[in-house]
Amino acid sequence: MSHRLIWRKLVFGGFGRRGLEAVIAAGVLVFATAIVAGSLMVVQGARDAIARAARDDRPDVVQVKSRFNRAVFETPRSGNLPPLTLPVYEPLIDRDKVAAAEATILARQSFLRNVVSGDSFLNIYIFGIDPEKEPQVSTFWVSRGRFLRGDDGALAVVDQATARALGVDLGGTFPVRKADGQDLTLRVVGILDRLEFRYPPPRTVDAPALRPGSSAVTSGVFVTLHTSEEIFGRPTLTDALVVAGTPEAVPAVVERLREAFRLEPGVFVSESYSRFRRKVHDFTLTLALFTAVGAATAVLAGSFGANLLHDVYADRRRQYAILLALGFRPMQSALIGIAFGLTMVGAAAVLGSVMAMVFAPKHFAMPSLMAELGTIEPKFDALVVAVLGGMGMAILALGMAPTALQLARCSIAATLSEERG
Amino acid sequence: MRIVVQSVTKTYHRARQSIAALQNVSFEVSQGELVLLVGPSGSGKTTLLNLIAALDRPDRGEILVDGLDVTGLSRSAAAGYRDECVGIIFQSYNLLPQLTALENVLLPMLPRRRPNPRHALELLETVGLGDRSSHRPSELSGGEQQRVAIARALVNDPAMILADEPIGNLDDENARKIIALLSDTCRQRGKTLLLVAHDREMVGPADRVFEIRAGSLTSIERQATLVASQFT
Repeated sequence: MSHRLIWRKLVFGGFGRRGLEAVIAAGVLVFATAIVAGSLMVVQGARDAIARAARDDRPDVVQVKSRFNRAVFETPRSGNLPPLTLPVYEPLIDRDKVAAAEATILARQSFLRNVVSGDSFLNIYIFGIDPEKEPQVSTFWVSRGRFLRGDDGALAVVDQATARALGVDLGGTFPVRKADGQDLTLRVVGILDRLEFRYPPPRTVDAPALRPGSSAVTSGVFVTLHTSEEIFGRPTLTDALVVAGTPEAVPAVVERLREAFRLEPGVFVSESYSRFRRKVHDFTLTLALFTAVGAATAVLAGSFGANLLHDVYADRRRQYAILLALGFRPMQSALIGIAFGLTMVGAAAVLGSVMAMVFAPKHFAMPSLMAELGTIEPKFDALVVAVLGGMGMAILALGMAPTALQLARCSIAATLSEERG
Repeated sequence: MRIVVQSVTKTYHRARQSIAALQNVSFEVSQGELVLLVGPSGSGKTTLLNLIAALDRPDRGEILVDGLDVTGLSRSAAAGYRDECVGIIFQSYNLLPQLTALENVLLPMLPRRRPNPRHALELLETVGLGDRSSHRPSELSGGEQQRVAIARALVNDPAMILADEPIGNLDDENARKIIALLSDTCRQRGKTLLLVAHDREMVGPADRVFEIRAGSLTSIERQATLVASQFT
């Protein structure tokens, strides 16, 4: 005779006609869990799609740029001319004015270095960046060597395409003509095999490129901002990125920047937040709909399940009271009830989740309005598990509460005599 | 186990109505004494037993069991007190239908001990149900169920047995057997027995009889007086 067998019978036995209600309650919970899990999986997949779009679009970033330098268009394609170093955008941006944005500032200086020798020429883009902050918006994959540091002097990081064009490798050097006519020798400390430079300038001349078909610059030489100032001989910026604390803060940041540069007709402030908001607006509405469907199902089916569970528990009050009368501690008696509820709710949650995972579509196509964000891949993750767990616990608590209250408030004798009648 | 009941009052409130179940009841029961509580239905006998078993609390007064005031115990402490000191036999048996007779007898051993099936089986044999140990309550007669309940009350070897009308649903022959079984067991093991009954018919083995009417203790009679009164 195993005492475990008796415990098992205390937890799961003696339901009588309430056994059918327990089975129905479990079935309802399985069904409800499957619907809630399915809805949540779609919502989670959609949240991922929005997060991906936010990562790609960076709606929290505001671009401040000067007007494009016409001289870049007029750079000779051939001929025996001295080397030129031209700003891609005109250097009209005063750092102090950008600071009015009261956000994170990523200052930049963007140049085109044009070298003509003999009957050939080489165009290379040079970017002065803040190595500490720029990785917040751009991504640099360093294949060899290292990335720039804030205190680096005449050192440069180049991508493979530019390195090949310059004929340099890690540790190699190349000269760059400064504004005072002298050459500055830059030493290569890092080679990039990939590069995603946020808001690059347009590519207007033939130059090395990691993505040859792109209309924007995809390859270049990266130096620290103070090195680029030394090359160009000016502290003013050609462009800058301002990262707002949140996408919602962008309009205020833009407002402050436009106010700061209202007397600078050559400086343009542009943001992607408005377009991004339009893009995800319908998407978030649909998400809200799915969330509402999931929540309504959870509430309705949960209430039904909790009610059935309540009936089952109410029917077992007598058993709990008998156990208390025989010397079982209140916690031991409560655990018997909790074990039953947890088993039922847990089994229903697992079965419902499995159903949702099996029957939910692998790709969920949203209406055409949202096609811009692509199809959604429903996702079963920790949040879904947490919500289902919370739902199960809530149903269990609601189902048990009246019985627990009755046993806590009334004497055991009263419970036994009431149930008897 | 010595029981001292002092000025105990209990009133039930139901639907704006107050029913005085016990009014200022006081008495003492000595260790190993067999006491019969008699009185008509609704006189407060079951309430008194419930209060001694700490299944309920009095409005006033105190109940001392070996010096321990059981009226002020927390729910957990009261459970511990019942577990260690009290064996209860309910009028309606209160056997769990999903358990066999043997498992029902083992039930009080579960809270703090590992069940001892051999001991439980011995008790079932003592009450004449050794061959019905694997039967569920629904497969037993009323008398058999009551005998299982008696075995269950004895399984932890408590110092006090509280029996609430254990013979109320039984025919005379079975009732006499049950009373004899209870009294013999308690006498042999030196247990205090408080037994509730409707009338004095089963008074034979009792040391004293307490009569309760309308919530008050109206008389306490000793065995010698009782026996004499039975033949007059």
